[in-house]
Amino acid sequence: MNTSEEQIEIISKVINSTKENLKPLSVNFIFWGSLIVGMSLIHYIFPQFIQSTEYSSLLFWTVLPIIGMILTVFYNIKVQKTTGYETYLGRAIKIIWGVFNLSWLLIVIISLLKDVNPVPDILFLLSTTLLITGLIIKFKPIIFGGLLLMLFTVYINYNPSINFLLVNIIGISLGMLIPGITLYKSKVDE
Amino acid sequence: MNKPIDKLLFNPIRLKIISTLINTSECDFSHLKKITESTQGNLSIQIKKLKENNYINIKKSFKNNYPQTTCSITKKGKRKFEEFFETILTYKK
Repeated sequence: MNTSEEQIEIISKVINSTKENLKPLSVNFIFWGSLIVGMSLIHYIFPQFIQSTEYSSLLFWTVLPIIGMILTVFYNIKVQKTTGYETYLGRAIKIIWGVFNLSWLLIVIISLLKDVNPVPDILFLLSTTLLITGLIIKFKPIIFGGLLLMLFTVYINYNPSINFLLVNIIGISLGMLIPGITLYKSKVDE
Repeated sequence: MNKPIDKLLFNPIRLKIISTLINTSECDFSHLKKITESTQGNLSIQIKKLKENNYINIKKSFKNNYPQTTCSITKKGKRKFEEFFETILTYKK
């Protein structure tokens, strides 16, 4: 017969073994950070190529992120199938980023219809999503990354003449890519 | 006087199942098998007992043409786990 100490040990051991693995989240951050920074760099260095036709820039900035979304959805489904369980924290993160994807798509469509630049709104949305994620998982580099990106969006609203590609490169690197790498490293070291 | 202990959760395999499900929104059969370190047959019996007492929900589906069983905890299961935990703490004192 089990004693109460043994029962508590069983509960504690089992709960500890079903902790949320944050490594896949960091892989998502690194992937998206690299993709957006890479795309911004290509657009900044080869503007004549990306803006060669009326719709080439639009295609570049919608088709590639949509492919990225499909890839990350498949990756995340595969990770969950391999793990065999979903924690409440994992579910919350999944819902938050799912809503982000939907909002991103709506911002792009509305901006196209109104013929305005979607970058400030997307960056603001990204900053709030990063901040919420950082606060939920209690990871300071992501919290600071989100706050920094939020400050960036305030700055570009007062300086609309600034090059948005440079803003993307600096903002996403500091707000997403570097915190993502830091999170990945901290999970590998654990 | 100490509260009577929930006999259903007193079984270590059933306790491991509920402890896993309390921390997850859903969990598949193969992961529960790994956590409980029990045989497929024994795990099925314990899961069935928890389901019969409305402690857990069972969802059956197919993954790559193979049947897949996914479990999640019910409100009653959560309440019973909390009561069980409080009871064993009083036993410990």
